[in-house]
Amino acid sequence: MTMPGSQIGEDDLHAYIDDHLAPSRRLAVERHLAADPEAADRVRAYAAQRDALRAAFAMEASDTLPAALNLSRLVEARLTRRRASLRMVAAGVALFAIGGGAGWLARGVPLEGRDAMAMSVLKQQAMATHIVYAADRRHPIEVPATERDHLAQWLSNRLDRHIAPPDLAMIGYHLIGGRLLATERGGAAALFMYENDAHARLSVVLRPMAANLQSPQVEASNGPVNLCAWIRNGLGYAVVAALPDSELDRVSERIRVKRPPAG
Amino acid sequence: MTSVVSSIEACIPALRRYASVLVRDRQDVDDLVHDCLVRALDQLHTRREEGDLRAWMFAIMHNLFISRARRLKMSGHSEPFDTIADDGPGVQAGQDSHMERRDVMRALKSLPEDQRTVLVLVAVEGLPYAEVARVIGVPVGTIMSRLSRARERLRRSMQGEDVGRPALRRVK
Repeated sequence: MTMPGSQIGEDDLHAYIDDHLAPSRRLAVERHLAADPEAADRVRAYAAQRDALRAAFAMEASDTLPAALNLSRLVEARLTRRRASLRMVAAGVALFAIGGGAGWLARGVPLEGRDAMAMSVLKQQAMATHIVYAADRRHPIEVPATERDHLAQWLSNRLDRHIAPPDLAMIGYHLIGGRLLATERGGAAALFMYENDAHARLSVVLRPMAANLQSPQVEASNGPVNLCAWIRNGLGYAVVAALPDSELDRVSERIRVKRPPAG
Repeated sequence: MTSVVSSIEACIPALRRYASVLVRDRQDVDDLVHDCLVRALDQLHTRREEGDLRAWMFAIMHNLFISRARRLKMSGHSEPFDTIADDGPGVQAGQDSHMERRDVMRALKSLPEDQRTVLVLVAVEGLPYAEVARVIGVPVGTIMSRLSRARERLRRSMQGEDVGRPALRRVK
């Protein structure tokens, strides 16, 4: 029968089924099975099992992939995370350099309690504001950019602090004008709306907040509309547009560098 | 980078299969695949070029599963994974192929976790034994004995035998 030293063991039977044998060993197993009907039965049953399992898994695989498992989204989310942390390092260095740096939280520290709630209402208000007013071709604003000084004075009075539209012309965004916004708590907030040369509209929402609230920049999106928001020195800032995150980053940086005097 | 990402993407169906062997709830399956993809992207730079990408991702998933199970155990949750399926005796031979597929899945799910993972990686995914050993983190000999027990138990279960009691060891 079998040659000495070529005893066929249980492992050989499995390797035979799974096709992991060298051709000579395979032949030896086939000779062994021809002489052992019980083993041959088992091998046939195991092979049938394998085929049934493969068929069963193939049947289950037909459903569509959930959005959470979309790999290009995961890659993009990861790049955004990394970019954000690099940006916060850069921001920390810049603030250290000017000796100010009051109140920036370290990136990655989750917002808690009141800071998180404040950020949540800021994001919701800014997103809703942009969606409603940026879509309005004729009346997106109340006071046009041609009355810039009046706009700044009026909103400063209503928000009870010095407010001025950030100057974004250097990076390609021209002020259209602004409007007064109501908050859900009966307070006043401000919207400044901008447009670039491609007529894409961008909203900057400023909302007074309690002086002790702080938040580093966070990002959010609603369909094609992206948002960057942060809270600093008692004022919530949100930049909203149907533009890529990188573009909103650029605008946010510009606003922070050229920020209107707070308080 | 792009080609690696598309190779990872090609692994997603296999990862979902393996996750469905590890956990039962559909949401848990997707969560496990999601965490595995995120970790794979994070660790991509540490991966050595040689070796099967799919086996590397199975290993990441297996480790995530193990630490998740440990966490649940520590927090007092009992894992439902090894609950024996509630159905009656297996269907006799002569069934049609649809029944057979349903039965084989039911029988698979009634196997202990350490056996069904090995069986699926070997029989469905076609990984070499050494790769399976690396994914699960045990010696090849252990893989072989789990494989042998899984196949025999599944065979008996498909024949409608009572697999509640340990089968007699076949002595050759």
